[in-house]
Amino acid sequence: MMPDLNQEGKGQDQAWQPDLSVPAVLLEGVSKSYGRIFALSNITMALNGGVTGVLGMNGAGKSTMFKLLMGKLKPSQGKIRLFGTDPWKNPAPYARVGFVPEHEKMYDWMTAHQFVSTFARLNGLTRAEAMVEADRVLNFVGLADVAHKKIGQYSKGMRQRAKIAHALVNDPELIILDEPLQGCDPLARTTIMNVIRELGRMGRTVIVSSHILQEIERITEQIIILHNGRLLALGNLHSIREKLDQIPHRITIEADDAKQLAKDVIDLDDVSGISFPNKNNLSIQTHNLGAIHANLPKVIVENGHRVHTIDNPDDDLASILGYLTNGGGK
Amino acid sequence: MEAKPNSIYRALDRKAAAITEFTMRQYRTKASTWVVLGVGLVAISLVMLIYIDVMASGFESIDNDGDSLDPDSDGYPTGQELKWGTDPYMDNSHPGLLTPPIEPEPASNYIDEDGFDYSITGTSTRQTTGFDDDGDCYNYDGTSSRKDRNQNGVECDVLLVQDRYSGQWDVNADLNVDEDPDDAAYAAEATHMAFVLGIGKMGFVLLLGMFLPLFLATGLIRDEMSAGTMHFMLAKPIARTEVFLYRILGYLGIVWPYYIALGILFALLSGFMGPGDGLFRFADLGVWLGIIFATMMASFVYGMLFCTMGVMWRYGIVLAIPFAAWELGMCLVSMGAPDASILRFSVIGWALMIVDAAAMMVWPNMDMFLLQGTTFGDDLGPIRASALALDFFYSEPGVGSSGLISSVFATVVLLVQGALLWFIGGAIFKGKEIE
Repeated sequence: MMPDLNQEGKGQDQAWQPDLSVPAVLLEGVSKSYGRIFALSNITMALNGGVTGVLGMNGAGKSTMFKLLMGKLKPSQGKIRLFGTDPWKNPAPYARVGFVPEHEKMYDWMTAHQFVSTFARLNGLTRAEAMVEADRVLNFVGLADVAHKKIGQYSKGMRQRAKIAHALVNDPELIILDEPLQGCDPLARTTIMNVIRELGRMGRTVIVSSHILQEIERITEQIIILHNGRLLALGNLHSIREKLDQIPHRITIEADDAKQLAKDVIDLDDVSGISFPNKNNLSIQTHNLGAIHANLPKVIVENGHRVHTIDNPDDDLASILGYLTNGGGK
Repeated sequence: MEAKPNSIYRALDRKAAAITEFTMRQYRTKASTWVVLGVGLVAISLVMLIYIDVMASGFESIDNDGDSLDPDSDGYPTGQELKWGTDPYMDNSHPGLLTPPIEPEPASNYIDEDGFDYSITGTSTRQTTGFDDDGDCYNYDGTSSRKDRNQNGVECDVLLVQDRYSGQWDVNADLNVDEDPDDAAYAAEATHMAFVLGIGKMGFVLLLGMFLPLFLATGLIRDEMSAGTMHFMLAKPIARTEVFLYRILGYLGIVWPYYIALGILFALLSGFMGPGDGLFRFADLGVWLGIIFATMMASFVYGMLFCTMGVMWRYGIVLAIPFAAWELGMCLVSMGAPDASILRFSVIGWALMIVDAAAMMVWPNMDMFLLQGTTFGDDLGPIRASALALDFFYSEPGVGSSGLISSVFATVVLLVQGALLWFIGGAIFKGKEIE
């Protein structure tokens, strides 16, 4: 059992070149099981370029998929290729990959600059090069002014950005972010989303996971939906949405006079049904969410209704998953 | 970016430096590191205090042959009467009655008056040596055969006979030859050497060499894996076997300087406190060098082993406990039976061989020195007691060659053990899934 000395330097001495004809990420019939429980089952997909959002509830298999991609877990079945190389056997492609793990634990005793530059040296950079690189990536994620503070003093959002900076060292072609927005305040959330969008614009392949649809929506249109370890959908968010529009949607409105509002709304073309969950609430069913949303404000204003809230209870991940799992699938 | 080519080895070098530095800095920020190092220091310093106390209070010389007594109460100790040929048991026979009369000597002149004179020259297995310093054999009023009780044809000598098979020397002295050596000097010397070897073997190699790795190296990889921070390291293009090795290097970067500093401190203290004509026992530095080196080698192998156990199983420290018991047993075996072949299956057996080899090179006359002390009398006087202590802690290197060859051989074996454990630990780590 000799250590694989040869593979390490390949990223640095340019002997190892990614095969451009292969996708950055390739999964073929990949399953991962723990005993009888399947964390992932039979996933097949290929990704190259652009920002891809991975959506799924907690425990859907997002992190498992990322750890398989990063060679931290071994697939029970199937084939995984990172730039055409098996990541479980060969760490060389990591030179072109940045990974932001989901774990919250970090080295609180280090400054962000130390954290990033120390691990940058694992890419084969010299001490001086690593310092310059750390400055660059910390600036990129907007931590330049607090780079020399201890990570232990950071807020959740700053910690996430430090993790992203760590991943961006050496300008990777593929960046995998596991729940980078979790627990962040709105400002940090916006910053991180901008960083991710910027990476996409720079032509990098970015894979980002979340369990909140709205977050992903703001970042990208290309999504993957995982549920209970299965790949439910892969493609453009809008095309998935359009499919969703084929089934009845609900809009719930809380108004002072729900009954009067119902009379005015029922005249709209696309309303297929109305019900009253309770006294002040009105629930509208429709096949065309867009048309209703376009016309509803006009109806409300013209008839002088006082409306407190308008909500689309079906427009969250759980409803989409419910539709995809029960109502016909991909 | 730079003039020198970016070869794979330069990159390896940078990774090694990065992880080693990181690991050392991580150790320094952990309170547990300082607690473990502090406890080690306190534990071993307590033993040092005992040594300082013993050396400061010294040893009392006793009159081994009873010739400082004056049984006939004529004012002349027995030894002086024997020297002048008068009868020590008759108060009307003493050197004061001779012409010219001899003044009585103080009784203390006849304590420690006839020290050990044996040493070996040549290769003969049957040697005559020894000298009757106080004349109580030569002046003994008896026949020549009574002055030559060991019947080797030489009056008043010590006969040393080496066993043909075991190589052990046997002491056979004529009556009243070398019978009252300087207890204080012998005991101080023997106790000092026993202390250096004892604290070196049990304190440094066993206690510090094993318990520091037990607490510091077991979690080297395991803690990072369970905390999830291992992902930061392994997300970079680096093989896990490399991470394993460089983490160990970082651990050695903490414990080796600690051993060296502590070893130098103890060498200085015992060098100044120890018996000897000069201010400082320079020769002992060689033994301390052996002790420090042996501790470093042991901690290297144990570090690899315990780190491997930690990777293998979350509760790796449980696996380490029976192993530690085994090593303690082997440590004791190596002192009693240094050539027992079971020692080849331990780490400490080889590490202690380095200490023994150093002691053999620095104290070449150890055999004779021990022989004098252990064969002298049957009682547990200062000489015999200290000699037995020294005999317990000292053993000849078990591979049965010169000190230099033994130490080199033991070092190579320890390096091979460490490298083997690195491959095993690296392979286990490589096959581990990291959540």
